[in-house]
Amino acid sequence: MTYLKVIQWVVWKDLISEIRSRETISSMLFFALIVILVFSFSFSMDQQAARQLIAGIIWVAFAFTGIIGLGRSFTSELQNDCLEYLQISWAPKGAIYLGKVAGNFLFMLAVEVLLFPLFVLFFNLDVVEEIGLLLVIFFLATLGLAAVGTLFSALTVQIRAREVMLPVLLLPMVIPVMIAAVEATRGALNGDPLFLYSQWLQLLVVFNIVFTVVSYWLFELILDS
Amino acid sequence: MTAIQADGLSKSYRHFHVLDSVTFQVHAGECFALFGPNGAGKTTLLKILATVNRPTAGHFTILQHDGVREKEAIRRSIMMLAHGSHLYDDLNAMENLRFAMAMRGITMSNRQGKQALDRVDIGAFAEMKIRFFSAGMKKRLALAKAILAQPQVLFLDEPFTALDEAGIHTMIEFIHELRRGQATVFLTTHDRAKAAEVANRAGLLQKGTLSSFTIKNPFHDLS
Repeated sequence: MTYLKVIQWVVWKDLISEIRSRETISSMLFFALIVILVFSFSFSMDQQAARQLIAGIIWVAFAFTGIIGLGRSFTSELQNDCLEYLQISWAPKGAIYLGKVAGNFLFMLAVEVLLFPLFVLFFNLDVVEEIGLLLVIFFLATLGLAAVGTLFSALTVQIRAREVMLPVLLLPMVIPVMIAAVEATRGALNGDPLFLYSQWLQLLVVFNIVFTVVSYWLFELILDS
Repeated sequence: MTAIQADGLSKSYRHFHVLDSVTFQVHAGECFALFGPNGAGKTTLLKILATVNRPTAGHFTILQHDGVREKEAIRRSIMMLAHGSHLYDDLNAMENLRFAMAMRGITMSNRQGKQALDRVDIGAFAEMKIRFFSAGMKKRLALAKAILAQPQVLFLDEPFTALDEAGIHTMIEFIHELRRGQATVFLTTHDRAKAAEVANRAGLLQKGTLSSFTIKNPFHDLS
């Protein structure tokens, strides 16, 4: 059994289930819309002020929206004890983890791509020139959130207070991702030269590699414990 | 050949002892029925043997593979039909089969899937989402998974619950078929009459101890 096939099947299963139920995406979108509306009414900003603050607002919305999706990632496996089946299946547990990360990453990125135009609209941003760079930042930071978040979602799924424990455990772990994402997004929105904030992109790449590898190895222990 | 060997298996949750030094063996091709009152530890024992849970103490092997160190090898040979159906509510029956087989490294064709569903009499519901299935239909679909997987050791937790007469007949037929192929079946049940139709050995688990170990000789003649 190839790793790739297992990854494909897990992603396929999560996508099909979500397309049919629309439970995760709809709650993620609803929460993010509320955040955008609240912030847009709280700050009446000109474009200069918006460029200074908006990066933080964007990542608060993306991170907390992502946590909603990550929380549901493994609770859906509790129905009919499906997690038990994954545990005793032949499938390499690392491949199941990567499939889950890929699914979570796709959900989170899809929501971000849908929401970002609303940020542009509500906060009067001019992002035409930086859009490619912003997508790279979104890609890297979302991958980091998904890699660590998937592990913590699996870790907390059997805990009674999982809705509370997931953000409590996850947010301190992803502080490097959040800081790097905010700084890189601010740099891109300000139109700064890339070398001024490229170290934040490097931090995202290193974080993603380190935490994906560590989470990959830990996942089997968590699934079997 | 010994298919299941358990030596002094114990399981405790804090100060609550669920299993207390359970020792027994089941040979290849046998069907072992485990009886016991509610809370006796039947499901706990079954889940330890199926490598879902770890014993607190003791040792077990499945097809000569060590239960703790060689879990992956064991998982390639076994299948468990438990209380939870292990089915995804938003996938239809055929998709559930395909996913379950993919997780076991089996590529299932549509024809194989249809045959398995027809055998458990839910072929007409192949495209229906599981969330609309009754408990009995879910049990039949779980049985279809086992039919496709053809495990060497099958663990069944209350296999006859929720099934109608036709479903029970299919389940019994499948157990006989597995045994004819020298596969081993370990089941827990309260239904002694149904167990007598499929099992050739039985044990009674009470208060975590296998206090009575009866060997019916045999319950059912496979020839």
